[in-house]
Amino acid sequence: MTSHKKGPVAPLSPVLLAGIAARPLPHKLLQPAFNAAIKQMHRQHPDVFDRLKSVNSPRFLIDPVDLPFSFVMDTLAEDPTLEIVDSDTDERELYTQAAIRGPLLLLIELLEGRIDGDALFFSRDLVVEGDTEAVLALRNAVDGADIDVHNDLLAFFGPLAKPADLAAQAAGNIFKRFTRDLETLSRATLAPLQRKCDAQAATIEELETTVNALKKQVRRRSGKTA
Amino acid sequence: MKTEKLELVCPAGTPAALRAAVDAGADTVYCGFRDATNARNFPGLNFSREELGEGIEYARSHGSKVLVALNTYPEAGNPDPWHKAVEDAADLGAHALIMADLGLLAYAAEKRPDTRRHLSVQASASNPDAINYYKNTFDVKRVVLPRVLTVPEIAALNREIDVETEVFVFGGLCVMAEGRCSLSSYATGQSPNMNGVCSPASHVRYEDKGNKMVSKLGDFTINSFKESEAAGYPTLCKGRFVTQDKASYLFEDPTSLNAAQYLPELMEAGVTALKIEGRQRGKAYIAQVVAAFRKAADAAANGEAVPPLGLERITEGQRETTGAYNKRWQ
Ligand code: SF4
Repeated sequence: MTSHKKGPVAPLSPVLLAGIAARPLPHKLLQPAFNAAIKQMHRQHPDVFDRLKSVNSPRFLIDPVDLPFSFVMDTLAEDPTLEIVDSDTDERELYTQAAIRGPLLLLIELLEGRIDGDALFFSRDLVVEGDTEAVLALRNAVDGADIDVHNDLLAFFGPLAKPADLAAQAAGNIFKRFTRDLETLSRATLAPLQRKCDAQAATIEELETTVNALKKQVRRRSGKTA
Repeated sequence: MKTEKLELVCPAGTPAALRAAVDAGADTVYCGFRDATNARNFPGLNFSREELGEGIEYARSHGSKVLVALNTYPEAGNPDPWHKAVEDAADLGAHALIMADLGLLAYAAEKRPDTRRHLSVQASASNPDAINYYKNTFDVKRVVLPRVLTVPEIAALNREIDVETEVFVFGGLCVMAEGRCSLSSYATGQSPNMNGVCSPASHVRYEDKGNKMVSKLGDFTINSFKESEAAGYPTLCKGRFVTQDKASYLFEDPTSLNAAQYLPELMEAGVTALKIEGRQRGKAYIAQVVAAFRKAADAAANGEAVPPLGLERITEGQRETTGAYNKRWQ
């Protein structure tokens, strides 16, 4: 499970389940795909890494809270890297300047500029730690870059882009259906618990009002005797 | 005099945000160079000369205008970057320059008289004497009013001046008399008026303390948010302070201005333009807010009711206020 991760709680989603399923896979097997992805991003959006030079090309921990692993991204303008690291790794040994944590799909939406980083931060869906200036610079750099993960990765397939696109669309549809099913399942499982919580919250509110009224009375009395 | 149609002035911190604002219906976009000459000098934000040129071209080809904010105060003994910014913005075809400093206004009026001059909110001009002075001395065409006036006060002001007025209608609030805040300088040594940044990110830290998140500015702990509590910007004015054993927001709650409901009254009051705050926000925010206010401004121009905007989720602290437009304090 990924529940020991720091940051926002991982939502019940296909990403979480896929992450659990992928857990036994050795990182060595996955790493080449991420090497290719960061090379492709560098080719298509060199300006992102150029903009980060002004804050000394920081090293980030990117932590999708619903996956059993994280990424260390080195943003060197000439040769950026994206390395998979196990969630159990001691973060102090990663020598990153800042960490960004949130559910994978939100992180992708953020990368594509389809969602506002500040809004995610206000709602606490996104957690940042460490060098805030570096995080802000990264946010501004990717937001200005018009990144489209789907199309950028398709470009990598060259002449095979068309069949790859069809496969991706089919997978996307399955993913959407699965997400809906999981949401229904999660609502059904949590409904009784939610009702209990609501009832408890109402009781706590009542108690708070009573305690505040009593406190006021005590203050007034002690004011009179003083 | 009643305004027929309000001009929508929208923020852009990157070329992508500028395009998003124009595509969403901005009449005008304001932005700044990537240096201390503007009051949103954040890392990775703002425009190079080349990007600004392209941005102005994009806006023009879509029927929109670009304003360039040069609204910080030049450093003593080092006015050159500000003067160069005036020259470059004018050369690139900016519709107007937004400035606050008297010296810079004088320079722009003398050297580039053909480029319109707007008075920044940082100048804090909120009475007819001050505004008329700027108009008579530097031929300022528009003044951005501080966020401290009620709608009747704005109407009264407009009757006594012969300058366009622009008012903030959405976004983060700065609660001090505009342009005169020392809180950031006190905590970090950097000021919004001189360095172009309040509470610079280089001095901000967020710490995960198990069931709460703590935000720090320099050496000061300024807030602590419970797990489900909406967070705000790490500015001292929105810090939570402990008095009489109780932690509370003494200056200002983390909340955003939303004055959409006042658009018809602002038209009656003779306001020319509506300003949306947020050059530091992402293009998704810009697209959403500009599209919502486009609808609102068009509805107001047609004499229809302003529709609900549905922007609560993306605002600071996830709460909204009508600010000073409806103030009941003195
Ligand atoms: S501390 Fe608050 S009031 Fe002062 S400049 Fe910053 S945002 Fe404005």
